Amino acid sequence: MRSAVEQNDFRRDLVSLLPKLRRFALSLTRNAADADDLVQEACERALTRHHLWNGEGRLESWVYALTRNLWVDEVRKRKVRTGAGLVDAGEHDELVVDASGEKAVFASQVQAMILSMPEGLASVFVLVNVEGHSYREAADILGIPIGTVMSRLSAARIRLAAMMNRTSERRA
Amino acid sequence: MLNTRGLALEVRLSAYLDGELGDQERKELDDLLTRSDEARHILDTLKSGSAFGNTAFDDFLKDPVPLNVVRRIKQGSASVSPATERVVEARTSAARTKIWPRALAASLALLLVGGTAGYIIGSKQVIDIAPAQTATAVSRGWLDEIADYHRIYASQRDHMVELDSDEKPQIESWLNASVGVPFRIPDLANRGLAFQGARLLVVQGKPVAQLMYRDQEGDVIGFCFLRNTENTTVTDPKEDIRDDLALISWKKPGASFVIVGPSSDASLQTIAADIAQDI
Repeated sequence: MRSAVEQNDFRRDLVSLLPKLRRFALSLTRNAADADDLVQEACERALTRHHLWNGEGRLESWVYALTRNLWVDEVRKRKVRTGAGLVDAGEHDELVVDASGEKAVFASQVQAMILSMPEGLASVFVLVNVEGHSYREAADILGIPIGTVMSRLSAARIRLAAMMNRTSERRA
Repeated sequence: MLNTRGLALEVRLSAYLDGELGDQERKELDDLLTRSDEARHILDTLKSGSAFGNTAFDDFLKDPVPLNVVRRIKQGSASVSPATERVVEARTSAARTKIWPRALAASLALLLVGGTAGYIIGSKQVIDIAPAQTATAVSRGWLDEIADYHRIYASQRDHMVELDSDEKPQIESWLNASVGVPFRIPDLANRGLAFQGARLLVVQGKPVAQLMYRDQEGDVIGFCFLRNTENTTVTDPKEDIRDDLALISWKKPGASFVIVGPSSDASLQTIAADIAQDI
């Protein structure tokens, strides 16, 4: 049983993590509404299970892994409900491009553009390139092999470079 | 360390960029990069994609986080399912817009009944009823005004306070006399809060003390209190949210208190509890 101080510290750390958690959730869902739902559910889960957090390593890795598991469950449920629907990239070798019209939700066209990347690329990119997780940590969080982390990361970088070039051409 | 031999060149160079390769393979790719234009071009592409993505994803951190999530984490009410909670909140919100005309009508009716009854019973009772009604109005509105003041003064860089933190004795004697609530300036250094100074506010015609603190992230936390002679009870701190601000308020006989700060600050409840215990 954790003390009230520890519980409060955990809550404080969780609140501090929210912006990054929401970004990670966006990289999984690529959809603002789903990301907000996922963040909410992940925080609920983290609060009810925070006694399982051993305090070692990075809290965000634990919360991210929990978030990713919730998203995999959600994808499975939707798959059952719709017969197809979203498919988690971790379960498929081939990446699927989501052509949903989320652009209107985001003020930034660039944000919308990077969220339109094929499934599975953005989350690997966020973990390794943006937040500095090692390949091993990213693989553990996302539940995928290191080889998949490597191939998705290089694919994400090349796509982002192409997006940058297109953005520059439009501005010119 | 990884072995990427046999994988596509862009995958190997991507791992090279992240320092995930062993010495031998890294030297191998160093040599390749000195010899091959194609390899250098791929590496440049990977680097530019990394830089572009970093900037774009950093912008996501500027998006506001859902307030209800912040609130629930801070209050620790993890038992409510998100879906239910959203529905409940939506209903509450919808109901609030419809209820206020009724509440106003009810208040007017009560006022009328109270006034009439008072008139019938005698002038003394009329006088007794009036302060109670005033107290209700003050307690409902003063937090809103505190939030407004806080938004304005917390963003003032050079004129956030009237008296600076190095004038603690003057602040205490001045606000004791002006507000009528005996107090000592709480030392919140163990909570990472540095005292900035104080000012006197006027809220609904009453003098209010406002003590300002700054945390290590630069956020401003305010501690305000006013004399409330009608109050004779002690209440536990409770949280109200006003957009981006959280207000933790409580009462003691003769005074009302509130801590105000960013709603994302999870430590406000603890700060309020500390002060409520000491003051």
